[in-house]
Amino acid sequence: MNELFEILSPDFLLRDALVGSVIVGVVCPLVGAYFVLRRMIFLGVALPQLSAAGIAFSFVGYRLAVGVHEHGNVSERELAMLGSFGFTLGGLLVLTAFERRGRETVEARIGVTYAIAAALTILFLTLDPHGDAEMVNLLKGDILATTRTSLGLLASVFGAVVVVLFAFRKEFLLVSFDRDLAVVFGKRVRLWDGLLYLIIGATISLGVMTAGPLVTFGFLVVPPLTARLVTRRMLSFSLVAAALGGAAAFGGFYCAYRMDLPLGPAEVALASLGLLVVGAASAIRRGAGRWRAS
Amino acid sequence: MSSPALALHDVTFGYEGRPILKGVTFIVEEGEFCALLGPNGAGKTTLLRGMLGLIPILGGRVEYGFDRRTTPPGYVPQRESLDPIFPLTVLEVVLMGTFARLWPLQPVGRRQHRFAAECLAQVGLEQIAAQPFWSLSGGQKERILIARALASEPRLLLLDEPTAGVDPGATVAIMDAITRLNRERGLTVVLVSHQLRIVRQVVRSVIWVDGGSAVKGTAEELLAPERIADVFGAVAAGG
Repeated sequence: MNELFEILSPDFLLRDALVGSVIVGVVCPLVGAYFVLRRMIFLGVALPQLSAAGIAFSFVGYRLAVGVHEHGNVSERELAMLGSFGFTLGGLLVLTAFERRGRETVEARIGVTYAIAAALTILFLTLDPHGDAEMVNLLKGDILATTRTSLGLLASVFGAVVVVLFAFRKEFLLVSFDRDLAVVFGKRVRLWDGLLYLIIGATISLGVMTAGPLVTFGFLVVPPLTARLVTRRMLSFSLVAAALGGAAAFGGFYCAYRMDLPLGPAEVALASLGLLVVGAASAIRRGAGRWRAS
Repeated sequence: MSSPALALHDVTFGYEGRPILKGVTFIVEEGEFCALLGPNGAGKTTLLRGMLGLIPILGGRVEYGFDRRTTPPGYVPQRESLDPIFPLTVLEVVLMGTFARLWPLQPVGRRQHRFAAECLAQVGLEQIAAQPFWSLSGGQKERILIARALASEPRLLLLDEPTAGVDPGATVAIMDAITRLNRERGLTVVLVSHQLRIVRQVVRSVIWVDGGSAVKGTAEELLAPERIADVFGAVAAGG
């Protein structure tokens, strides 16, 4: 219990990391709600690799355009963010354009994207040999290393993501649930799709670099899947997913701090435990309902 | 004399530049109840989607008798095209119809909630507004989608196979709701169907799709038993 008071104290040494964890835990599921509802979960395999290719590309680009890059400074992080965001968003747009054409299978599209992104990452790193170790550090996304500056960036970008998601939730719902109806209503479907992909791209690229791919994708997918089992309405689905994500992030942080566990895996494991418990309870409730009906 | 709700002039519809239907010319008058019929694979849904602007027009022109931007047509899709992963109540589905007349950032307010409830009442399902949409029977879902179309305050209602895969009782309820909307509210209706027996009882005109084109005529003319027998065989003509 002492540890709980300790981490809630304003003087707590890892306070920025705790706040960063909870922000990622709350915001990723809000975005993940659409990720799950639009059946984009499989993209989770390819997008981190695209993000890595983007980071490697930004390093090479800087080296070719400006000169030898000094790794470890602040502009390097911004550069990496830009590359990660550009490649993630570009990949999302290309993948969804291919999806509309519908000639290849989902697995083929994701497999090819992964292979291309992995090959590009290695090729870009070969062109910028100093980038390798630094990129591993960036992609590891150690949230414990969160600084006041990176927390400020995370809070601003994720805050904007939340505002846009809630402000345009009827447009996002309409284009996601019934795209044809949105076209019939004369809505600018490509604009809304593009804005949603922009949000997904920004969340993934910033999430991966702040908290790492495991935490980002864990929170994008697991809390919405849990919330889907217990909610009937869109708004409550999003809010419950965000609350579950925030609770898992805080609980995971507490467990990691108390038991000296790695933070990211502790948070995702706790969120997944929630999914298992809720899933089992839902299955029992459904079974009991069927038994009563028979 | 009534004015046209929808007019097609020598229109060609198709996918990826490949024409499926050519030289389609007809007028749907305001207040008309019209069935879009034809053999399987003839292009009924293609024509409906073309009329809605969901597939490109490769030639000719489609004209609405009203401003489509301010008064979009009501559209009832095949319910299988909607993904059951979305957690939605009946009321939330119907409210989507009101989005047609709302600008971005304009909230869904009390007026929209009241109107959605009225639309639900028009299809006789106001008592299930809070129920999950996916827990309903096929026939109820279809009536909810009709209520959603009504919530966009349309002058023209286009429905894609609303009675497909539903039991006879539900079919009667759906057709009854559509017929009432046409008779009592003067709503223009175009309905894709393959159930000749049911459609024959309620529609006055038919758009017959076959052989890469479409013609419009009266129900008596285009659904004459000898003509149906030619297309589908004697069983369909009798039934």
